[in-house]
Amino acid sequence: MVVRTPQQFKEMRDIDVKTEHRVTKIDPKQKRIEVLNLSQSETQSIAYDKLIIATGARSRRLNLPGSNAKNIFTLKDLQDGIRIKNYIDEKRPKQVAILGGGFITLEMCEAFRLRNMETHVFCRRDLPAGNLEREISEKILKELQENGVYFLTQHEPAGFKTNSKGEVTTFETHKASYQVDMVLMAVGVIPNVEMAKEAGVELGKTGAIKTDFTQMTNLANIYTAGDCCEVFNLVSQDWIHTPLGDIANKQGRVAGENAAGGKASFPGVVGSAAFKVFELEVAFTGLGTQVARQYGFDVDSQIIEAESKVGYMPGSKRIFIKLIFEKRSGRLLGAQMTGKEGVARRINALAVALHQKMSVEEIARLDFAYAPPFSAPFDPILIAAEQAGKKLHS
Amino acid sequence: MEGHGGMAKKEKLLIIGGSAAGPSAAARAKRINPDLEVLMFEKGPFVSYGS
Repeated sequence: MVVRTPQQFKEMRDIDVKTEHRVTKIDPKQKRIEVLNLSQSETQSIAYDKLIIATGARSRRLNLPGSNAKNIFTLKDLQDGIRIKNYIDEKRPKQVAILGGGFITLEMCEAFRLRNMETHVFCRRDLPAGNLEREISEKILKELQENGVYFLTQHEPAGFKTNSKGEVTTFETHKASYQVDMVLMAVGVIPNVEMAKEAGVELGKTGAIKTDFTQMTNLANIYTAGDCCEVFNLVSQDWIHTPLGDIANKQGRVAGENAAGGKASFPGVVGSAAFKVFELEVAFTGLGTQVARQYGFDVDSQIIEAESKVGYMPGSKRIFIKLIFEKRSGRLLGAQMTGKEGVARRINALAVALHQKMSVEEIARLDFAYAPPFSAPFDPILIAAEQAGKKLHS
Repeated sequence: MEGHGGMAKKEKLLIIGGSAAGPSAAARAKRINPDLEVLMFEKGPFVSYGS
């Protein structure tokens, strides 16, 4: 997880890294920042010529009675992960409640079940991964249930009962009470923008820092990158907040290059991501049906199921694909895919198609590599695009 | 580095945050301009821990 240490930064690249130093203030007029050395409680003022704000995001916490108990965790960074692992190793909790139905929840279900913990997921929506298409979320729900996860919907969290040691013993919803000895709150993230905002850095409509294709902010000599700022979505042509590590790295490169006097730009994303829920791979790119409609697209969609390899090959698994496209032109707007083999890599072909604004008819004629161990003569993507194309002229 | 007799003062880049975007920015900036003084601040004990 830790890619480089501060010593490596210094030795390899002559970059000075100060850990346990919290920047508390940005003064764009004087071009200075205030830094608090957390280990010595000392504040220092340091001048800059260029500044990059890469303050990231933090886990959202529900403010409920008892929600400060010490066995309620969030998961955002390495330290959080270490805290959770240490708690499980020391206290051997048997019953965990997870609040939220997003990607963190889905990945942690596997970790908790591997430790034989009884796992209850409490989700406001009726299906997990509620941002995805219903048909995909239903497959995810089935995978959770087959692996012994209890998925409970439409529970409004009410609070936590704690014991004398300050540990949660009971999680209460407006419907029922559940005995638990550990809680994970995975209800989304908030961009860390307070200090930037106070300095006069402009925020976008998402609440994250507003930026442009060069990662500049509205203030001279101040750049931004990563989970604290927005990114341009090439399909919707709108600035969105989608905190993902690969985007942060790419934006960081551009911000660094420009702050050093270069001329780089980051054109944006189409919105691709993948994750794994037990044995199930899930991958998506572009817009979902609802979001596409909100942006005014005339939307149609096509669902197919096909084999990941030639059927007689060992290890071939069913792949489920939903293509979302524009009704008249057939332009691809998004794709979502799930299955137990060959999903996460396959989505990248459709990400390229989105970048190139290809139609489903064009996608259906793509020349993909074929050999029985890898795919079928008609790859699942080609089948899906072919079927979608038929809808255009019907 | 500051105020070394007669030497031109180095341009200074400060980076707030050491998870994913910060380290990428620091490395790139130094590659583009090796004379740049780059200083990165992280509130936690680790850097480059992002995922």
